[in-house]
Amino acid sequence: MTVRPNVDRDSAAWWARIAAHELVFQRCADCARWRWPDRAMCNACGSFAWRHEPASGKGEIASWIVNHHRFSADSQVPYVVLTVRVDEQPDLLLPGAFDGAHDDPRLAIGARVTAGFRDLPGEPAAALLTWSAAAPQAGGPHQNSSTRLI
Amino acid sequence: MVDGWPRDRVAIAGVGWTEYAKDSGVSTLTLASRAVSRALADAGLGHGDVDGVACHRVGDSVQAVLVAQALGVRDLRFHLDMFGGGGTSHQVVAQAALAVASGMAETVVCWRAVNARSEFRMGGTGRAAPDALEFAYQLPYGYATPPQQYAMLARAWMHARGAAPEDLGRVAITQREHALLSERAMMRKPLTMDDYLAARPIAEPLRLYDCCLETDAAVAVVVTGAERARALRQPPVLIAGAATGGGHWLFSNGREDPTVSAAADLAPRLYRAAGVGPGEIDVAELYDAFTFLVPLQLEDYGLVPRGETGGFYADGHARLGGRLPVNTHGGHLSEGYVHGINHIAEAVTQLRGAAGARQVPGAETALTTGQPGYVGGTCSALVLRRDR
Repeated sequence: MTVRPNVDRDSAAWWARIAAHELVFQRCADCARWRWPDRAMCNACGSFAWRHEPASGKGEIASWIVNHHRFSADSQVPYVVLTVRVDEQPDLLLPGAFDGAHDDPRLAIGARVTAGFRDLPGEPAAALLTWSAAAPQAGGPHQNSSTRLI
Repeated sequence: MVDGWPRDRVAIAGVGWTEYAKDSGVSTLTLASRAVSRALADAGLGHGDVDGVACHRVGDSVQAVLVAQALGVRDLRFHLDMFGGGGTSHQVVAQAALAVASGMAETVVCWRAVNARSEFRMGGTGRAAPDALEFAYQLPYGYATPPQQYAMLARAWMHARGAAPEDLGRVAITQREHALLSERAMMRKPLTMDDYLAARPIAEPLRLYDCCLETDAAVAVVVTGAERARALRQPPVLIAGAATGGGHWLFSNGREDPTVSAAADLAPRLYRAAGVGPGEIDVAELYDAFTFLVPLQLEDYGLVPRGETGGFYADGHARLGGRLPVNTHGGHLSEGYVHGINHIAEAVTQLRGAAGARQVPGAETALTTGQPGYVGGTCSALVLRRDR
């Protein structure tokens, strides 16, 4: 995939931290609520005061897809996209890449994942989030064969 | 707030369609002009009767004011040109109804006109993608088209409900059966479960026939006061209730559970506005860009208990002749994709008793819905009623 992040004034600082292989989230300086993506105002308390705080880089797979259709000429199919629910707060769900094959048995709703980074070619420096899964546990959680197609 | 809704005071007096095509060969201005002109003729009105225009778009269609100028409207009393996709489809008609009820305008035409196959394919394959912030965080992962976004939701919903691929297949097959009864529908060959299961995966868990069509078309409706509509050419269909709601925006700092849509919050407001309960709905035209959105909305609009939609479909209750026929025109999956307004048009047709071979006998009350808020962050729906 060759699409670089489309950075704007709200997102530039966050993407720069990702490029430096640091996962941070905004945190409200008044009510301590985490938020993503970056924006000026807390949608819980209305405060404009915030700081970036390091994230644990831990979460679980909320859902995932295996993309087969070539939506662009250069896409290398099949590939996986995850939605990860991070440990900081249950309402933070991030899209990301998966560090594994499309038929990896560790792909399961509820599976624990850890954040990593994948550098993109070109200047300025840019990176994407890629998540790796722990080994599947015996009688693993939440695996539901009825929703697996292949 | 709901107490101020002008229940049954505003009507849909006309409906117009262009042909459904893969390549219309004409502009969206031409498509909109044709659909609006046909809707006015259906109502027994002329272009000169229009004093309000309303549409929605995502940078993919002609501006509303250009259609007003094309119609020759000199004194434009109501103008709505809303940014948004299928979630806003029913808001457009709701806002037009409020404009009519307030006296701001007398006759408002509402339409959606898209060359959604030949010019602007959703997700930006073709031209540039809509300038929506949420895509900036998804596109770098090869994740920005509706089949991918809804596949992500479909897996979470299927997992939570224990749904199998066959449960989605029955939605596609049921709607295809309905489309076979409509000359307008683009998909005119029967679909079997074997066809469904053998079709190529697009973005797992969604297969080809889980995905809607891409259509070049326009559909328009004429909104005017109920009293005036009673003097026009067609039996009026009353706008009993309308409601809009929120949604999931990038799934963060809002709703934690993607398996329940924002329509679950909208539905009680909608039924209160209309003065009906879900048990009084005779026919449901539910936004179906992808199969699983239909059973999901059957749950969220209170029509079928959570987790029981699989049996509802397997027992044939969603089919014509069943307990609650759903997407009687074939929907976006099999009739064509006009971003929600073709569901309104079908509800009007059913309530006029003019649906021919696919008519739901005695249909008096219809629910028709827009996309339930998953992309774009807003949803909307109408309850329509036959005039008595």
